[in-house]
Amino acid sequence: MSAKQPTGDSANRVPRIKEGGPLSSAWKIFAGIGALGLLGAGAGYATDSKRFAFAYLFAFFCFLTPALGALFFVFTQHMTKAGWSVTVRRTAEFFMAGLPIFTILALPILVLAPTLYPWIRHSAEHGAHHGAEHAAPAEHTSLEALAIEKSALAQDHAAPAGEHETPPNAAKRATTEDSHSPPATAGAHGSAVERGEPAAGSEGDPALEEAEEAEHAAILKHKSGYLNTTFFYIRAVFYFAVWTWLSLSFFRFSTEQDTSKKHDSTTKAQNLSPLAAVLFAITLTFAAVDWIMALDPLWYSTMWGVQIFAGSVVSMYALVILTALSLKNNKLVGDEINVEHFHDLGKLQFGFLIFWAYITFSQFFLIWYSNIPEETTFYNRRWHEMSGAWQGVSWALFFGHFILPFAVLLSRNVKRRIHVLPIGCIIILVMHFVELYWIVMPTIGPLSISWIDVACFLGVGGAYLALVFRSMTRHPLIPVGDPRLPRALQFEQA
Amino acid sequence: MSAQTAAKPLPLASAKRRPALLLAEFDTPGGIVHACEKIRDAGYTQWDAHTPFPIHGMDKAMGLRDSKLGWIVLFMAIGGLSTGVSLFMYMNGIDYPLVIGGKPPAAWPASVPVFFELTILFSAFGAVFGMLGLNKLPRHHHPIFESDRFRAATDDKYFLSIDASDPKFDAKKTRALLESAHPGAVELVEEEG
Repeated sequence: MSAKQPTGDSANRVPRIKEGGPLSSAWKIFAGIGALGLLGAGAGYATDSKRFAFAYLFAFFCFLTPALGALFFVFTQHMTKAGWSVTVRRTAEFFMAGLPIFTILALPILVLAPTLYPWIRHSAEHGAHHGAEHAAPAEHTSLEALAIEKSALAQDHAAPAGEHETPPNAAKRATTEDSHSPPATAGAHGSAVERGEPAAGSEGDPALEEAEEAEHAAILKHKSGYLNTTFFYIRAVFYFAVWTWLSLSFFRFSTEQDTSKKHDSTTKAQNLSPLAAVLFAITLTFAAVDWIMALDPLWYSTMWGVQIFAGSVVSMYALVILTALSLKNNKLVGDEINVEHFHDLGKLQFGFLIFWAYITFSQFFLIWYSNIPEETTFYNRRWHEMSGAWQGVSWALFFGHFILPFAVLLSRNVKRRIHVLPIGCIIILVMHFVELYWIVMPTIGPLSISWIDVACFLGVGGAYLALVFRSMTRHPLIPVGDPRLPRALQFEQA
Repeated sequence: MSAQTAAKPLPLASAKRRPALLLAEFDTPGGIVHACEKIRDAGYTQWDAHTPFPIHGMDKAMGLRDSKLGWIVLFMAIGGLSTGVSLFMYMNGIDYPLVIGGKPPAAWPASVPVFFELTILFSAFGAVFGMLGLNKLPRHHHPIFESDRFRAATDDKYFLSIDASDPKFDAKKTRALLESAHPGAVELVEEEG
């Protein structure tokens, strides 16, 4: 309709990453980083297997979430028969095509599941003592270990292994205990007062502790229909089977069309996308419950899956915009991806950013307002417990994951200025990693960034991005055979 | 022909008629976009294009700058947010502190829905009334409706109108300019005044 027409050059040329050209060896760099990171992670496992397990889970989710977000983007575009997004859909397809590698990358999590998930330890012990039931007071169940672990968290973790305290800390603790708790509880339990836990009293009284533990055991027994090891592994296999199948199918439909130019690839993708939507919603929700929410098996939130979904999508938009921009800046694509596409991606990113804020605040809001002890543990740990070690990160999420990027990305002009837009994307991406760190790591103690975290992050990220950028070198950078490509080329904001 | 003339109220002999605007009719979207570029380059300010549907690239062809509406909405949103926050903080925190649901007075998370709703309400008012104001609406009549031809603007014709209030408006020169863009017809619309 308008005067804007694709130049003959860009319509005939197939944009590819050329041998030896820009980005052609990016995947090798990522593979190198990934190999070094995984080596470091291996050393981390040898040093501190528990820290490694949690750091690895954090790293795994940092990259699984945008990969799943990319799958979401691809099938929603097919489902809505979108024309505008055809050129940038390929960028998302590359990120989606990296999904199968998480089947391999998940192995450490599945192997170390007993370290990560207290309910597995509990069910193992519970199964062994099945005849004795859980009433025997002398029995040391894993829940007791969990309780001890929790109180140990309150201690100064800077001291190696939490055993020896530096004199000033010990003195401070002693004064606190003197004024608040009976001398009998002096030691690990006394610091519960500092944390301001409502249940602090129960930790000092053996009878109350037993009662609480029996109650927890009863809850876990009640949940064992879902939280049992056999079903846990069956579910994991199901998730990875679904994700691998969907990502490979959508990627094949799109790439086979590059040469065949046949319309039926588009039809196939369209027909698969409603089923993909249903499977995606189920697998992402249950995976989030299985692998993150079950870190504390007594805590629950019905909004959990949606929160992980919101983070997945918003981080995916940030990654796709940044990658598409680097393709454009390296002159690998021309006018096929232009300011109109970035504007729309930016709008969607902004929308999902608000969605993320809406979901995360709603979850906090409902838990805070109803103030039920078994629900508030999640936020209590990230606010009051461990002397407020995670409170700063909680504030950082509020400002950095919402207020700041909201202000940056609000204006239409920012979304249309491709030199300013990446600032918002980088903020969102970094804060997405911070959010996952904030979700996973408080389970094991106060905020202390370890080299093991960094190694795991680089290892998983390098391996995933190596696969993504390698497939980028092997396929055209836009779907040249897509029947809706002309609509994307002529796309303009009305 | 005579019936049509009779249907229209005849202007009173005493009433003065003065030119209100020049109207040019085009048959294609491309034609009007091209014409708009001409008028834009000639430096006219009081003019408009009327089309049955939005035409891509029209903003650029008309040389329109960003609408001020965004700033109005932003201003109203900040106003709504601060109204919500100060209303709640004053009432529940200072004027009549009250413990509700075991929460301390002025526990702000409880009122985030209120802050949000007031922000949205004020923004929506800003958007609707700001849009009306920027469009100089409501008004009872516009001289462009004196033209019978103009009815096709909601059907299959594309119109360009130049207001007589434009400082560059000159009945002869402006008409010549419009005709140079090859319109289907050019019409001088008059109003009583």
